[in-house]
Amino acid sequence: MSNNKGSAYGQAASDTDFRKTYDLDEYAAKAKEREAAEKEERKARWEAKMAGKKYYKPLDGSETLTTARNATQDFSRMVGTSTLVPAGAGVGKRGRGAGFYCEACDLTFKDNLQWIEHTNSMQHQRSIGQTGEVRKATAADVHARIVALWERQQEREREQVVSLKERLEVRAEEEEKEREEKRKKRKEAEERRRLEKETALKVKTEYGEDVRVEGEHDEDDMMAAMGFTGFGTTTKK
Amino acid sequence: MKKSEFHRADEKRFLDERGSSGSLAPNGLNPATIMEKAVRERIVDCYFYKEQCFGVNEADIVDRVVEHVDFIGGVYGTVQKPTPFICLAFKLLQLAPSDAILDEYLRFGGEKFKYLRVLTAFYIRLTRQDKDVYQWLEPLLEDKRKLKRKGRAGTTLTYVDVFIDDLLTKDRVCATSLWKMRKRDILEDLEMLEPRVSPLGNIEDLLEEEEDDEVKKEGGDDSDGSVRSKTPDSGLDSNHDKIDVDGMGESRSSRSRSRSRSRSRSRSP
Ligand SMILES: [Zn+2]
Repeated sequence: MSNNKGSAYGQAASDTDFRKTYDLDEYAAKAKEREAAEKEERKARWEAKMAGKKYYKPLDGSETLTTARNATQDFSRMVGTSTLVPAGAGVGKRGRGAGFYCEACDLTFKDNLQWIEHTNSMQHQRSIGQTGEVRKATAADVHARIVALWERQQEREREQVVSLKERLEVRAEEEEKEREEKRKKRKEAEERRRLEKETALKVKTEYGEDVRVEGEHDEDDMMAAMGFTGFGTTTKK
Repeated sequence: MKKSEFHRADEKRFLDERGSSGSLAPNGLNPATIMEKAVRERIVDCYFYKEQCFGVNEADIVDRVVEHVDFIGGVYGTVQKPTPFICLAFKLLQLAPSDAILDEYLRFGGEKFKYLRVLTAFYIRLTRQDKDVYQWLEPLLEDKRKLKRKGRAGTTLTYVDVFIDDLLTKDRVCATSLWKMRKRDILEDLEMLEPRVSPLGNIEDLLEEEEDDEVKKEGGDDSDGSVRSKTPDSGLDSNHDKIDVDGMGESRSSRSRSRSRSRSRSRSP
């Protein structure tokens, strides 16, 4: 649209006068159009009221189709710190308040049920620019969806197997560590016992050596080495 | 007239069209009134329906079944909460999927997702002509996978083939009255159905064999095992005996009654 009228910030050109008239004409035409539309809407509203129906603004073609929710609503994201709503709070209180707030419609609801009912309403569908209509699926669409869901499920199961395997591996590792720890302790205990024994033995041997005072038997030893035994008077203890 | 490419995201128009401009199901019933009013009202009032069935098309139904249906049933618990199963069956009544789509649900999808299979079977039983119901459902009597069922009495264990048998023989399943179909042998007489060929072989031969065995048994042969092993679905029976021991599911007597009913049905010329 702005292409036809030129840029609002553009340089003044020689055809300004022409554009002015053009704009004026267009403006008049638009005003007329709008008036007609408003009249049409009043009429439609009136007719809807007479028929006991609710009036919704007619679609202008810019709307998108309604689609199914992707997953379960995550309300934890929407709810503020306070979910307490004063008793008797009406359905769809205007403005932001405590509870479940709809940004598009600027309404607050006291619980998730009311909120979800609201998001399903035509009023809400219109304010988010959706038609309230859903495209039909073909058999081919259904087939493709089944394939996709099956693959997703297989993938999940594989992941589960992997995580199970991982868990088992971690556990095996832990068990191995535990066994290692026990082995170490056992070895240490054995070593300690061995050392104790050794020390005890050493004490004994040392005690034996102690008895044999150095130098005392040197003569005997020499004699023995030379072949003489039992010759002297000294006896070995 | 060109069929619309769209569904309404909600059920309001579907329910408003009750008995007027709304199109009828292939069996001549009005899909909006196939379920009982009390159940319908519970469905459209429940949170699951509002959250998970709004804006759903024929492909999204599969998502919902895979994510949310892990038991069959109508309403359950003391507050008679509608099951996701019955909510999605109601949504199917609104969507009125084509036979080609039902085939995808029942066979291709049903092999992978058993609850998709039984949901579709239930929907077919509610909306299709009797001859088509037999033809769609009977092959599923070979599906022995386990199912969970929730009712007012609590949770029980059942099987796909048992549920299918219920759909073919009972007049009330999952809080819903089933319309009265003509018996199989009548449809055979009218040449609307071929006699059923059991995948286990010729049903007549099997029945004769069974009778011979029974005669033998009465004649003093008391080896019970040999008789049972020759019956066409002995594996099945012994399988199902286990549940009965647990006191779960339908009583065996009612099941074998319906089985024998279907046998005698296919036996008559
Ligand atoms: Zn809104």
